[in-house]
This record gives sequence, C-alpha cells and structure tokens, in this order.
Amino acid sequence: MSAVLTLENVSKTIKGKKIINDLSLSVNEGEIFGLLGPNGAGKTTTIRMIVGLMGITKGDIIVSGKSVNKDFEGAVQHIGAIVENPEMYKHLTGYQNLRQYARMHKGITKQKINEVIKLVQLSERIDEKVRTYSLGMRQRLGLAQCLLHDPKLLILDEPTNGLDPAGIREIRDHLRMLTKEKQMSVIVSSHLLSEMEMMCDRIAIIQQGSLTDVQQVRGFVNDDLLDYFIETGSLNDAMDWLQTDWNAVITAQGFTIKAKKEDIPTLLKRLIDSDIAVYSANQIVKTLEDRFLEVTAQKGEIE
Amino acid sequence: MGKLIINEWIKIFRKISTSAMIGMLLLSVIGIGALFKYQEETNPMQDNPNWEQDIEAQITSDQENLTSIGGNNTQLKMHYERQIALNQYRLQHDIAPESEQHIWSFVGDAQPLISLAGLFTIIVAAGIVASEFSSGTIKLLLIRPINRMKILLSKYLTVLLFGVSMLAIIYLFSSIVGLILFGLPSSDVSHLAYSNGEVVERNVAINLVGEYFLSSIDLLMIATMAFMISSVFRNSSFAVGISLFLLFMGGTATMLLASRFEWAKYILFANTDLSVYFDGVPPIDGMTLSFSIFMLLVYFFIFHLFAFGVFAKRDVAA
Repeated sequence: MSAVLTLENVSKTIKGKKIINDLSLSVNEGEIFGLLGPNGAGKTTTIRMIVGLMGITKGDIIVSGKSVNKDFEGAVQHIGAIVENPEMYKHLTGYQNLRQYARMHKGITKQKINEVIKLVQLSERIDEKVRTYSLGMRQRLGLAQCLLHDPKLLILDEPTNGLDPAGIREIRDHLRMLTKEKQMSVIVSSHLLSEMEMMCDRIAIIQQGSLTDVQQVRGFVNDDLLDYFIETGSLNDAMDWLQTDWNAVITAQGFTIKAKKEDIPTLLKRLIDSDIAVYSANQIVKTLEDRFLEVTAQKGEIE
Repeated sequence: MGKLIINEWIKIFRKISTSAMIGMLLLSVIGIGALFKYQEETNPMQDNPNWEQDIEAQITSDQENLTSIGGNNTQLKMHYERQIALNQYRLQHDIAPESEQHIWSFVGDAQPLISLAGLFTIIVAAGIVASEFSSGTIKLLLIRPINRMKILLSKYLTVLLFGVSMLAIIYLFSSIVGLILFGLPSSDVSHLAYSNGEVVERNVAINLVGEYFLSSIDLLMIATMAFMISSVFRNSSFAVGISLFLLFMGGTATMLLASRFEWAKYILFANTDLSVYFDGVPPIDGMTLSFSIFMLLVYFFIFHLFAFGVFAKRDVAA
C-alpha cells in the first residue's frame, strides 16, 4: 500500500509556543485514519497545515507526491476537506454554493455536481437557501463540496460534531462507501473514542502536539493477554500460587488475572482440583476508552 | 481569474443589500429629476437678452478683484483668471450661458450621487474579505488549488467592477430620466473648459464621462483603503467606519492644513481631485498633474502591499 499523505517531522510554532512538535505519520491509500486526542492537543492545527490554511514552521507535508511547502496548488488539488464546521454561503442555495466551488477546480461538469448531490441525498432541498438547512444537511453539503473534484484524500475535522445518532451513522456509512468504492483515503479527527472505534482502520493519538501512538483499531483494543475475572468461593492456600504464578489480584468475590485464552482451562482445572468453588469466569472487555486513558495517562506521567 | 470574479460577483449580487443599494441609486436619480422638474415648472428660466452686458460687468468686477487681491493669493488669482478667460471666450464666440435644463445638464446635476455610489463601493470593499472571515467561509475558499494572491486580486477587481457599475448606473439612468423629463438640448451645446491658460470646447457627453471618472478617484482610493483594512484587520465595520470618516473629513482637514503647511501636498486627499488640473486650480501652489498621479500611485501601492502581504502570509484560524 502506498502512502497518500506523509507528514515529515512537522512542527508548528505560534508566537514562540510550540503547538505541534516534530510530528511524523503517513496515511495509506483506501484507509480511514483517525486523529484522536483531547481538545487543544493540536488535531485541528495539524489539519490546517495539511490543507495550507496555516504555514508549516518546520518539516514538510507530502500529498500524493507533492509538497505542500513547494507546490501548494499541486498538493491541495488532491484534497477535499471540511475544517471544523461546514460553513457555506447562507444567502446562496445549496446548488449555488456547489457551483462556487466547482468554478475553482478544473473540469467539473454539471453532471458531476448532480451526481454528488444524489450521493449525499440532498436532491430535494438543493435549490433552497442554505440558511434553511439543518446542521445535518449542512454537514452533507459540506461533504458534497469535498467530493466534487474526486480527491484522493478526504479530511474531515470533527465530522460528527453536533449530529444526532442517525446523522453520525449516515456519515459513517458514507465514509465506508467512499473508501471501498473510490479507493479514497480519509482522515477524521475527533475526541470521541467510541465513534473513532467504529469508523477508523487506524488511529493516531496526539497529545500536547506530539504523536503518542499509532495503532490498528483491532490491535488497539485487543492485546494477546486478556483480562479475566474469576468468581470463586474462599481461596485458602490457592492464594499463594495464584499470586506468584499468575500475578492475580485477589478481591472478596474472587480474583482478576491477565492471561492468554488457552491458559484459562488449565487454570480452572487446577482451581477445581484444589477444591475451590468456581462460580464463573468472564473476560473483561477492555474498551478503546480504557486504552486511550491508559496511553494518555502514561504519557502524562512521563512529562 | 475570470471564474473567480464571476464567483465574487454572484456572492455580491445575491445579497439583498446589493439590490437595496441599486434601488436607492435609481430612486435618488428620479428624486433629483423630480426636484429639478418642479423648479423648472414653478419658475421657468428665461433667456437673458442682456447676457452680454452682464458678462462684461462680471469681467470688469473680476479684473478689479484680480488686481486688488490676486497679488497675495495665487489661488484666488487663478480663479479670477479662469473666470475672465471663460467669459471673454463667451463674448468672442457669442455663446450665451446655458439657461435651459436638458439631458446633459441633468447628467451633470446627478454628479453628487457619485458620493452615494462611492459609499456603496466602500461598503462592498470593506466586506468582501472581512465577511469571509466572519462567516468562516474563508476556509473553504483557501483550500482550493488557487494561489491566495489570485483570490485576493479577484476580490479587488470585483470591487473596482462594482464601483464602475454603480457609476454606469448613475450615468445611464440619469440620461434616461433627463431625456424623459427635460429632452434634448434645443441647440448644440459644448462644454467650455479652462486648461493651461486656454479655453477649449469639448463634447458634453464625453466630457461628462471624464468628469464622472475624475470625481471618483478619491472614492477609488478610499475604497482601496477600505479593502486594505478589511484584508488586514478582517473587520468590516472597522473598515467602513474609518473609510467613511476619512471620506467626509479627509478633504476638509487637508484643505485646512494646505492653507498653512506646504507638506500637506503629500497627504492623500490633497491629490485625489485631479479635475483641478483640467478645469480649475490646485489646492497648493506648484502641484502638478504628474505630482498628484505619482502620489496616488504611491498610496495605491502601499495599500496593496499591506493588503496582499498580510493576506498571503496569514494563518487562518477563523
């Protein structure tokens, strides 16, 4: 897989304050890439640098082989983006807004505009003023605006901000469809973990302007070692070998351990052989949120 | 570039305020026409059979003034010299001062409305960059594969185009209204101009086009300044406020300074009225047309240096 976007040691300093510190990452073709981080971590600044709204203090950003520093027009023509809210000209209709953006790219036909309108399901209301649109409709019009010129890279900053669950689902389905059918790459930023978990293939965690971690979403959640809670009666002597061999944490109703799935039957057999009452054995599912807090907490301690 | 200007044009003309501006211009032309028509009806101007004697009397009085005052005050001297030359030309060529209202005199009378057109142009210039920032649409505008300079230039050209359209509306609509209310002149008329110590006759319609453009130079400069403030400070009310203040106060303040200090000739507003070099007297002795044009170009260049310099480098965080 080739990289559509590469950030090379990017730094951004505003008024002597380092907002982004030596950030490097790359986004592959056809993947949905998440930028995750608490508010003020530098997600939006990073996105603004990619699309050229902000200058890059140090380093470079390469989009489809073109440097944003040296060939801004060449680089940005492969990008479609919504930065923060999709702000449109409210006194124009949806269609007139799209015409505005179509005139700024080469070779966008009326057919193409209509095709995109159909894709985001705005056909019925497209000739009404944007002033009358709901937030969800503006979000969809914003998406239509990004798709007009068939970009290779779609950048959506907080795409689900202020949307209801149906709207969020809609955006998610659109993104899945675009990456599958058009081989587009997508970058989404968010501070909402559950949402990123459902949407993204890979997630980068940004904290205080630095990259903390990049992980596959599945791997991000699942380690080899899983957490289990075993509900038992009184442990008696078994307490000793559980703590030494398995590093178990003993509680009143039983204990928790970290173990591979295959080891659980062996463990249970040994417990039963020791005449200990075993009531249940459950895997503790670690959510992305737990992992996220774990990772960010570690980072916080280091600094 | 053409497409960018079309975009800006559409954005301006889809606004209700723009229709209101044009409506006000049209109404004002009709209003002035009605006023003049009413005046003409209530006390119709008579051809003065004794105009030659009157003008001769005027010349004698002007010459007296010229010898008594003109020696100390170069401006008044030029004023009287001009009056005398024009009047003598009338006597020699038997051209009576105009007394009837007709289409061209009305187009001339509509000239004060250029200030209104200027006001509207300043409002548009002040908003064209600032409003994109305040609405947040600047972000979607600047992530296109188009150089920022080109985007700003297209906005400036749109402002100029808007100003010229406003002038054209006044000129064309006042000629229509003038034609309907007052009709064509009964005899051939031409404009008498005093330039470089000589009196010349000019075609009225063309002379008026020239006058319209000359009297909008200060508006062009102030609109350019409003555009600069709009681009640098991203605040349209600030841009409108400062520009209107200077539009109304700048000229007066400069004239006050010009009577005392010679350096006042470097002030923008001392140079904006170029018509004095074609048909009148300059505010400060020794100022020439080329000096004024040079000063205007310097100001023009400085305004754009700020506007483009800041716009191209700015980190957009709106």
